[in-house]
Amino acid sequence: MTRYLSFAAIKFRSKMAYRFDYVLGTLHTLLLFVVYWSIYKALYGGASEVDGVTFSMVTTSFIISLGLSSAFEKNEMFLQDKIKQGTIANELLKPVNFKLRILFEDMGEGSFNVVFNFLPTAVIASFFAELQAPCSVLHIPLCLVSVILGYIVLWEISFIVQSWSFTLFSVWGLITIKNVIINILAGAYIPMWFMPDWLRNAIRWTPFDSIYFTPVQIYLGELDGSEIAFHFARQIFWIAVLWAVGEYFWRSGIKKLVVQGG
Amino acid sequence: MKDILSLFFAYAKSGLKSRFQYRLDAIVATLAVFLREAGGIIAMYLALLKFDTINDWNIDELLFLFSLIFITYGIFIVFFMALRDFPDWIRHGDFDRVMLRPRGLLTQLVLCGADWLAALGHGTLGIVLFVISANRVGIQWNFAMAVYYVVAVISGVLIQGAVFLFFSAISFYVVETGRLKGIFYWNMRKFAIYPLSIYNKIIQSILIFVMPFAFVNYFPAQFFLRKPDMAAYPEWMMYISPVVGVTLYLLAYSFWLFSLRFYKSTGN
Repeated sequence: MTRYLSFAAIKFRSKMAYRFDYVLGTLHTLLLFVVYWSIYKALYGGASEVDGVTFSMVTTSFIISLGLSSAFEKNEMFLQDKIKQGTIANELLKPVNFKLRILFEDMGEGSFNVVFNFLPTAVIASFFAELQAPCSVLHIPLCLVSVILGYIVLWEISFIVQSWSFTLFSVWGLITIKNVIINILAGAYIPMWFMPDWLRNAIRWTPFDSIYFTPVQIYLGELDGSEIAFHFARQIFWIAVLWAVGEYFWRSGIKKLVVQGG
Repeated sequence: MKDILSLFFAYAKSGLKSRFQYRLDAIVATLAVFLREAGGIIAMYLALLKFDTINDWNIDELLFLFSLIFITYGIFIVFFMALRDFPDWIRHGDFDRVMLRPRGLLTQLVLCGADWLAALGHGTLGIVLFVISANRVGIQWNFAMAVYYVVAVISGVLIQGAVFLFFSAISFYVVETGRLKGIFYWNMRKFAIYPLSIYNKIIQSILIFVMPFAFVNYFPAQFFLRKPDMAAYPEWMMYISPVVGVTLYLLAYSFWLFSLRFYKSTGN
């Protein structure tokens, strides 16, 4: 485990080298937030609440879901590039689990972006947007746990789509389509409360709302103790299911893999 | 002129052929571009099921507004792809090759092919949105309207072309302009998709005076729809898109000609 944690730490530190990048990254996330903040400000048109959802709940939901989705963007052509270039062979020779290693590296990068992209964005946004404080101090670590679990769900879905690069010429199109579906159904582009009922009921049976919406609900204090436990269990359930599916695709891909030359 | 046209078709043919060599992949990628751009629209559609209107714009009127951005980008990318990717041309030394050929530099860049996946993805989306909305928003189409529409689309293409020509000219001084473009063009474009009036004054001014996307879709759409939020702007703004387009393009073109003198090849 410490071995994998150090992969994460190395990635975190290597990201530190590009200072200019994280200033622009923050600006990018901030502008994205301002677009949706403006849209919902106009939609609310001064009303204090719609269907029991206050405007500050909406902005808080956006900063968490949109901010995290922007911070969690990563190079999803990674596996395809490794397979195309044949360097995947070197990876397979290393005495570490490839999937776990990449997961931890990506978590290192993700946590870097949360600290140097998401947090500055949230702080700047709090000066002009109506953000809510966390429900209580205790909810901060709980929210953090759900963000990490949500990230692993997100990562697993990405890995499953990426692992199709063993059979497809290019997975770029599929990855792009997957990201559209996630951004809509996970609530990055529209707060979950405003989804039509049929859609929201359907989403409850998918892993999508456990990515960003569970952290949002915990942060806002919409869930009580037992509900929080239930949502954690749900996140872990999806991680297990998606991990198994990813593992299946990965194993059958590796069996088919032919690397030429080198 | 005939010669230039035949060059364009030759490039277009080879470009399409190479892109559709892997047919399934090209279709999936085109669909992906289509859906990626439609993502925000789908979210807006879902939101308006709850809220009905945004600043008095209903969903059909919004779709009409969206369609202009996508149609102009779809056409833009047929002609200006090389300018979008211009830093790569300089970095890889491809621009040297262009300089050695017996045609104008910009002519070659404009003709040398399109990003067909983007063109089809954006263009189709734009046309689909236009077809869905054009009748439902209650426009009484006549000859003058049609002419206005065509002129507005051409102006929109020119405005975006000018922006990219300007950024390409900057590439002669600094090779890395991708991030600048990311902030100024792509992020501003996200703003420009929605009605101008929902933003605060600073963002509105940027979209009118700095990165004039407002003349690509908002003001032309207002000419057809006459929504009440137009009251905040002078009415003549609906008519000056062509002026903005041509002026900006000429300015960017002179800047490009001026900057060309500072071009240094990066070697190989």
